[in-house]
Amino acid sequence: MLKSTYKPSPGALQPLPPGWTEHKAPTGHTYYYHADTKESTYKRPGAPPSFVPQQPPPINLSDPNVANAFMAQYNAPPLQQHGRGGFGGRGGFQNRPRPQPTDKPRSKVAIPGHDPWILVYTKYGRRFAYNPAKNASYWRIPEKLMPAILELDQARIRRKAGLEDEEEEEEEEEGGGNQRRRRSEYEEVEVTDDEGDGDDDGEGHAKRQRTEEPGADGPVEFTEADIAAQLAAMGADYGDEEMGSDEDWEGEGADPPFSDEDARALFKDLLDDFKINPYSSWEKLMEEGKIIDDARYTVLNTTKARKDAWEEWTRVKILERKAQRATEEKKDPRIPYLAFLQDKATPKLYWPEFRRKYKKEGPMKDPKLADKDRERWYREHNNRLKLPQSTLKSDLKTLLASVPASALNNQSTPDHLPPHVLADLRYISLDPSIRDPFIEAYIQGLGPPPTAEEGGLEEDAATTKAREDRRKRERALQERERVVAEEKRRQEKRLQFERARLRDEERELERAMVVGKKGLQSQLAGERLAERMVIKKEAEDS
Amino acid sequence: MPAIRPSSKRKAPPDGFSDIEEDLLVFGNKMKDAQNTPTDNIPKHQAQWPIFQISHQRSRYIYELYYEKEAISKKLYEWLLKNGYADAMLIAKWKKQGYEKLCCLRCVQTKETNFNSTCICRVPKAGLKDGQDVQCVSCGCRGCASSD
Repeated sequence: MLKSTYKPSPGALQPLPPGWTEHKAPTGHTYYYHADTKESTYKRPGAPPSFVPQQPPPINLSDPNVANAFMAQYNAPPLQQHGRGGFGGRGGFQNRPRPQPTDKPRSKVAIPGHDPWILVYTKYGRRFAYNPAKNASYWRIPEKLMPAILELDQARIRRKAGLEDEEEEEEEEEGGGNQRRRRSEYEEVEVTDDEGDGDDDGEGHAKRQRTEEPGADGPVEFTEADIAAQLAAMGADYGDEEMGSDEDWEGEGADPPFSDEDARALFKDLLDDFKINPYSSWEKLMEEGKIIDDARYTVLNTTKARKDAWEEWTRVKILERKAQRATEEKKDPRIPYLAFLQDKATPKLYWPEFRRKYKKEGPMKDPKLADKDRERWYREHNNRLKLPQSTLKSDLKTLLASVPASALNNQSTPDHLPPHVLADLRYISLDPSIRDPFIEAYIQGLGPPPTAEEGGLEEDAATTKAREDRRKRERALQERERVVAEEKRRQEKRLQFERARLRDEERELERAMVVGKKGLQSQLAGERLAERMVIKKEAEDS
Repeated sequence: MPAIRPSSKRKAPPDGFSDIEEDLLVFGNKMKDAQNTPTDNIPKHQAQWPIFQISHQRSRYIYELYYEKEAISKKLYEWLLKNGYADAMLIAKWKKQGYEKLCCLRCVQTKETNFNSTCICRVPKAGLKDGQDVQCVSCGCRGCASSD
């Protein structure tokens, strides 16, 4: 933050009450110490905390020092107090002072018609008028230079329109970086560039050079260093309030209404949603960077916290998976193989031929089955295909009869037969077109399931509870985002309002200043007229 | 040398391998890439750094899965070691106090150095000069002392 050069005059400081002494802290702050009460404070004791800004009625904006001080006063106090956890707390960024943007003069243009005056452009796209003869400079371009500068700008734009298309022109106008001009160019230019990024140095400079007036450097007899000194002296405080307030809202999290647990839970939900493999490593997760774009990624502020949450999540997930696998019945590797056989096996092919033909197929490569077994089943299956239909049917019937009533009853569907049945050769020997109606008929002839046991209900309750929790958290996140957005909007509005007010006041002051000899008379005349009107009115009333 | 058996005749890896198979494949691909990049234009001593680093990462991955998260079974862990997915000697060091973050075995091999000392990357940051940026010669490690 650039310091304002505006300082209240030393006379405004009241003398310290007796007993208080003034000291300098090693950090450079001034503090006050009372030897008797052993009290120390940064605030000046005795002085009223609210410093009343003297309204300057005889302000003379034509004097550069006064004008600059005046502007500085209006732009001075950037609101910094609202929480700025916005940067996701990456490191202890918040409390560190912001890197000072160092503005530098970049190019200068002589203003035609006003000889000593020149217009100086700075690195951040600001510009100011400078009079080397009087050694005076203004951010606000003085009234009398306005037409000349307007003309200059128009000429520049015209020239550019001839050479390049509109877009480039605008880019040039903006100085290439993330600077924006909020107000009209002719009032003043503000810098919203937060870090003094030097990357626009090279091209920006080249561009500026191109647009310079030919022979601009001709009559001017002062150096770059001179302007730099001017710039420093002018206490360029403008625009910095924009910087502050803009930046405050960049990230969300001005008000973290989330407890730590909620934030962690949200982050874990995120991991769930992206179907992150709990077995893979954190580095891989970061490398892929899928989750980074999600809003929930930022609810945790530091990478360390995220990694912690991730680790916790992986542990839980892995345990869950283990438990799930333990309860889950072992999937028989024979089932897909037998289904494959039913589809593809034919007595025309010997086993080696069959194997060679289908070696790329999944069931043929399954490492859980031995090749020998595969061969055996293939041969058996082919032998069974030669048997008469009636034998196959009776075989299937005996197979179905061997299944207990709890696994197979009139409520089970033909699509969900017990694995015991599916993994049997007798099941696949019959062609599906004959087999399926047969099995359906068989199932319908069966009795009801013996006893309905309850076990799924509890689990259901647990899952619904988890879902409920999750929905709650998500609602909270939405709420928070909404609040942040609203706050941001309000902030923006206030900024606009303040700016409008400042402009109004400036205009008022200008108007007050142009009152000359005649003006005073006219004012008096106006008052007299009003008086007369009142008297007349009274006379009419009476 | 025994003949390499085709995958169909090889014994299947233990249960749980399918969970980590994908990540191991990623490591394997990275390793292959590192092996195949030409080393003509880099200093000779740096040629093997990526190999060391990827092997370290892979060993670390398996180590963490087995010892810290207990996500894989002992059977699978041993199978992985046997099949060269992780460096058993390096993992053995990690289990010792003071060697928890060891980058590679060469860095603790004192007999191979001129002054019979360990590598510079074993020196804690506190023992180095301020702002001294070290990178060890054998594997490009920037510091693997346990206290860092």
